[in-house]
Amino acid sequence: MVGALGIYGCLASIACGAGEHRPPAASASAIQITDDAGIVVHLDRPAERIISLIPSATETLIALGATQQIAGRTRYDAAPEVAKIPSVGGGIDPSVEAIVALRPDLVLAWANDKRQAIREKLVSLQIPVFILRTEDTTDIFRGIANIGRLSGRDSAARATAAWMRASLDSIRSSVAALPRRKMMYVEFPDPPMTAGPHTFIGQIISLAGGNSVFADNTNLWPNVSMEEIVRRDPDLLVVPVGEFKQNTLERFRQMPGWRDLRAVKQGHVAAVPADLVSRPSPSIVESARVLRNAIHPEAAR
Amino acid sequence: LSDAVRVRVAPTRARLEWPVSARLIALSILVLLSFVAAVRIGAVSMSLHTLFEAIAGRGDPAMVTIVRELRLPRAFQAALVGAALAVSGATFQALLRNPLAEPYILGVSSGAAAGAVFTVVTGLAVRMVWSLPIAAFAGAVLSMLLVFRIAFSVGRALDTRVLLLAGVVVSAFLVALIWLVLAFADTESVRSAIFWMMGSNANASWRSVSILVSCLVPAFIILLALARPLNLLAIGESTAAYLGTSVERTKLVAFGTATLLTAASVAMSGTIGFVGLVVPHAVRILWGSDNRSLLPCSALAGAAFLVAADTLARSIAGANELPIGIVTALVGVPCFVWLLRRPTGAIA
Repeated sequence: MVGALGIYGCLASIACGAGEHRPPAASASAIQITDDAGIVVHLDRPAERIISLIPSATETLIALGATQQIAGRTRYDAAPEVAKIPSVGGGIDPSVEAIVALRPDLVLAWANDKRQAIREKLVSLQIPVFILRTEDTTDIFRGIANIGRLSGRDSAARATAAWMRASLDSIRSSVAALPRRKMMYVEFPDPPMTAGPHTFIGQIISLAGGNSVFADNTNLWPNVSMEEIVRRDPDLLVVPVGEFKQNTLERFRQMPGWRDLRAVKQGHVAAVPADLVSRPSPSIVESARVLRNAIHPEAAR
Repeated sequence: LSDAVRVRVAPTRARLEWPVSARLIALSILVLLSFVAAVRIGAVSMSLHTLFEAIAGRGDPAMVTIVRELRLPRAFQAALVGAALAVSGATFQALLRNPLAEPYILGVSSGAAAGAVFTVVTGLAVRMVWSLPIAAFAGAVLSMLLVFRIAFSVGRALDTRVLLLAGVVVSAFLVALIWLVLAFADTESVRSAIFWMMGSNANASWRSVSILVSCLVPAFIILLALARPLNLLAIGESTAAYLGTSVERTKLVAFGTATLLTAASVAMSGTIGFVGLVVPHAVRILWGSDNRSLLPCSALAGAAFLVAADTLARSIAGANELPIGIVTALVGVPCFVWLLRRPTGAIA
């Protein structure tokens, strides 16, 4: 329910936003958008050389057909489309020197760095920086609309958002008749951490027919105690795994605490690809499908 | 003279009998070489021709920005911080008559970290970029005052053993406080705080360099002027007093100045370990523990060492920057062990 509201809410805001933020008539190509840190970013024309310090923003650019406009990326980007594009290092500790050398006309950076050091540095060197928040689905849809406008791909952004809404709607209706499943998303097993209801993962789980046993915890990524997990007794554990971690169920059968859980004893542990579900980009559609299939295998077609 | 001997790590080691001026000239050349490497080497490679053009402000504007706005201020900041930590370390070692003394021993870094973490967790650092270094500096100074307050409340004169213990406990308390705050903070704040605590010169600018110069140069001059009293203190406090040193005043001024040196450098580049501990020892092994030579030599050696380490940190793994503290320890430890084990020639 929370997820559904979040997505409808942001679609409504995009619909309004598209009307409000028409470029001024004086210079048709100039762009002025307030970023997610509340700072107004001004571009004379759509960005041609974009450095994305956020892997999910890189994915969004690819999805909007702007791969040619990506001048740089981080070492964490996995998409094959950008394998040949130079890396500038990490997302919150990139090499400023490498960024400057690529002569970007826009840098997309994370709202997550609480020091804002990179922004300060780049802005002082006259490189525009656009900060993106990526916590919930509202952020994702707003981000797609903003990236669309910054890269001059407004209509592609609108089409992508419409397609995402339709796909998410069909996934939601595929589980509408089924009972909601009591489950836990295990972001990290030791110390136990789950996804809160206000993260995009929490919202997608809800949309895909899951009912997190920690849906009452309003933190983004709550640390929870093993005792509380046992008390709330989920029917199913959904675990994001990287490519090296084989046989998730076996691992949980050996871990102290986890091995005594009813879901683990009954073998109800579902692994989902961590790379996919952790990306707040248009790939949340695929991620919703994967999570739906994990939570309600009977609804998978 | 047992106290004086204890300060030296290897009192029987052979010393290079260079006049002080020769030592300073040799180290200055080393600093110069490290600067050449710092502007020449980086994630972006450029030809010597492009480099000279860029230094002169001509040619490709991106290269001009890289050399004049990124590499040069960064090299200057690393040099100033390296010099500050080394001089501060040498001073602490002399004052505390303890070879394990280093710039962070009186809790300055923990105080700075507490200030920095406060601005990160409250979101102040996001709204006002300069709040972080200011809070770090304030935290460092406040922790120093607390340490001295505790030390002075025990006995009449300043007992360096009590001071040392006060520094250790205040530091432990502040570290616990930091982790208490971080235990309740969100993941991003924790990551940002840890990145800061690992230390980096990546945010150097001409503004940060000019602020450092205005803090550090007067402090260097004060400590150099105290070199002779510090020599006498190393022999023993009562001996120094007999020989006409006003012991308490010297100690207070030297402690205060060395702490401010550390506070200013920590505020700008986070905590960079190892430099303040080992550079003074290396200089002492080479040329003895006379502070009139040790302090200026440590400043130059610390500057050259940190500029070189910073250059390595930002170039060795391509665009991926390493935390500078890793480089100072990984490169510095083998060099230091080599110095310790150097075959003894003519014993001085």
